[in-house]
Amino acid sequence: MASRGARGGLAAIAVAYCLFLIYFMAVQALKTPREHLLGNALIVTQPSLENFVALFALPGQARRLFGGAVRRSYATWLANTLIVLAASLAISLVLATLAAYALGYLRPPGYRWWRRAIFATYVVPHTILFVPLYQVILQLGLDDRLLGLLLVYPAMALPFCIWILSIYFEHLPRELEEAALVEGATRRRVFFRIILPMSRSVVVAAGIFTLGTVAADLTFASVFLVSRETQTVAVGLAARGSIVDQPLALAGINAMALPVVLACVLFARDYARGLTAAMTEGG
Amino acid sequence: MTTPSPGARTASARARRRDARLAYVMLAPAVALLVLVLGYPVAWEVWISLTDFSPQSAGGARFVGLVNYRRLLQDPSIAHAALVTTAYAVVTSAAKLALGVGFALLLARPFPGRGVAFVAIFLPWAYPAGVSVIGWYWTLNPSAAAAYSGLMAAARNAVDGAAGSGAWALSSVALFNVWRGGSFMGIFLLAGINAVPPELFEAALLECRSAWRRFWLVTVPLLRPFLAMAVFLSLTSAFWDLANVWSLTGGRVAFPVIGTLAYWTAILGGQFGSGAALSLTMVPPLLGVLWLLFRLLDRPARGGL
Repeated sequence: MASRGARGGLAAIAVAYCLFLIYFMAVQALKTPREHLLGNALIVTQPSLENFVALFALPGQARRLFGGAVRRSYATWLANTLIVLAASLAISLVLATLAAYALGYLRPPGYRWWRRAIFATYVVPHTILFVPLYQVILQLGLDDRLLGLLLVYPAMALPFCIWILSIYFEHLPRELEEAALVEGATRRRVFFRIILPMSRSVVVAAGIFTLGTVAADLTFASVFLVSRETQTVAVGLAARGSIVDQPLALAGINAMALPVVLACVLFARDYARGLTAAMTEGG
Repeated sequence: MTTPSPGARTASARARRRDARLAYVMLAPAVALLVLVLGYPVAWEVWISLTDFSPQSAGGARFVGLVNYRRLLQDPSIAHAALVTTAYAVVTSAAKLALGVGFALLLARPFPGRGVAFVAIFLPWAYPAGVSVIGWYWTLNPSAAAAYSGLMAAARNAVDGAAGSGAWALSSVALFNVWRGGSFMGIFLLAGINAVPPELFEAALLECRSAWRRFWLVTVPLLRPFLAMAVFLSLTSAFWDLANVWSLTGGRVAFPVIGTLAYWTAILGGQFGSGAALSLTMVPPLLGVLWLLFRLLDRPARGGL
């Protein structure tokens, strides 16, 4: 059994390992172009927010030589990214909760097989899938539009969300609903007033999983979003940021990550608790 | 126990049918979305893999049976790609698993600063990987002049010189994937440990002195379904990060793995039939892992996940 001191030492190593890249990106984003070129890579001696300011500067205001496309479009990219994340989250959670209630609580014949079949969609390789997928998107008239991503992204998160939510619903005591129904409550009311509040942490876990999964994509977004006004931060920076002004582009990465990371950290405990709740026998 | 009257039995059967109908209605939107996004594309890919379809030839798709699959077996470059793909998947998954177990065991017991460590271990996964992968790639391959570009260029040349061109790129993706996936596994397995009744661990503490034996004899069996789930998710997501780096570099960096080889064959080489066939060879091994996963989750002793 490791002593508390040894545990603390190991934890310090783990923390340093986990945070290194995040720290490194933040440090570069805080550097002036001069320090980026000449200074020490691991620290910043004269931190400056000028890269972040330049991202949101109005046309004509910024006096930087490079990174014009990034500066002009960053605000649009950020808005697109946040819209896609929020909408994917909403779609995924609503569809997953409905499906999970059906599979875990109502349990139609063969519900286990439904759940497995849905989960098995994870084995589909994405490699050249986007060729036929792009045909579907074109048919629906969604090419170069954020809506196209809103079809694909929830599909990436749904199987896992349905899995944990339906397992959790399956273990919920059924007497609760029966008692409420006897007292004259409708099924819908029971769902919204009793079952959903009870399942809060599992829903949060599904939501954080969705966020992490959806925010990890660069591939689909770069295939589907062609023009500058429709792109997300990841696509825009991947396409243009690297060549000329890396501190500016890294500021762009940090500025986009901040709201996502804050949301995740805020719900980190519920996320772990929700996963536990879904895994615990008997709910 | 009393037998329900025939009337009550038909009433409950009717209620069950009504429940089932409601269930299908509620299931429909999610299933419809999955069918739309995956159903047609997968069917297309399977069909194309049985043809000689190429956008360059005027004739359209001609059914050729299993020719594309048979050709795969004879191509030595594909055998090499399969080997690299397997090695990448096995090495990254093993590393993620080791890290994840370590993180979870570390966080499972109280120590000063556990809250901070928990958040820090959660962050690599929570940080949006669509952009952190870009930052990671630029860190290792600075295209613009930076204080560290010389160092990175030297490292790149050393690795590529020792293990062949593309080795630096592939190992940098592997490191990223391990960094991010280990974080996911750590939190996921911590949740798994918390789901096991603590009495079981306490009993083991009395029975068995050696921490190492206790780990293999008690912790691993108790966590087996969660470990299996984590490994499956890790295997599938290992290739998402690879695809991200690939699109980031506009396909300039050629990893010798099945996925990118399939893309080259199909999109750049115009051989959609062989490309689709190649891409589909990834399915059977993953289905095998999935089957194992379902068996582990179904252990009657544990309802679990």
